[in-house]
Amino acid sequence: MANIHEELILVDVEAENYEEVIRKVGKTLFDNGYVKDTYIDAVVGREAEFPTGLHLDGIDIAMPHTAGVHVNIPAVCVAKLAKPVVFSHMGDPDTKVDATLIFMMAIKNPDEQIDTLQAVMGVFTNKEAIAELNAAKTKDELFSVAKKYIK
Amino acid sequence: MAKHVKIACVCGSGTVSSSMAAAKLRDKLKEHGYDVEAVECSPISASTTLGAGGFSLIACVSPLNEDFGVPKVNAVGLLTGMGEDKVYEECLKILDAEK
Repeated sequence: MANIHEELILVDVEAENYEEVIRKVGKTLFDNGYVKDTYIDAVVGREAEFPTGLHLDGIDIAMPHTAGVHVNIPAVCVAKLAKPVVFSHMGDPDTKVDATLIFMMAIKNPDEQIDTLQAVMGVFTNKEAIAELNAAKTKDELFSVAKKYIK
Repeated sequence: MAKHVKIACVCGSGTVSSSMAAAKLRDKLKEHGYDVEAVECSPISASTTLGAGGFSLIACVSPLNEDFGVPKVNAVGLLTGMGEDKVYEECLKILDAEK
């Protein structure tokens, strides 16, 4: 099942803080019917308690998500921010990352979507993929890179 | 024959990131002769999960402050790819010591 959709690829997302990022990117998932109206608040709440920022080799990212009950259709929303936004690190909330790329995960059942999770994780650990994601400037470019690595 | 071991994988929601870590641990530790039964949980459900007993180690993607008397390994490296080998080394050190 394809989890990357053109309508879920965003570039130049303007936001001042992580909550604004989640609300803006989450709205795209909601407006397109992928998640329920409870999703955005649930993700914001979870991010405050258990942050999802990650410092990767070559880029800082965040992968906000929440429980499957808030999801209609599994998908991954890939968003490039207009400027870096501070997220706390997943492994240590006292560490901050300057995220420029967001993988907002709408996962309904992790066991069934394990291929998607592994594909996303494969991107995190793939230097070439990170370089291509960094280089992608337009929506078309970001869509083709995301499609290439997350099937 | 592969040795069966139980590993608790802890992340914030007890689903997404812990499933990512669990998938990697299952694959990698299999190469070292371990048949990993990974149980995903959140820091909140950890006491219930670990209460079942029989766990060899806890792989943490989110911080887990409580002490359950089971060795903890910081598994964030599995997601970032940085320090990934160190995570496997630490896990294997704990599992091999059980033999």
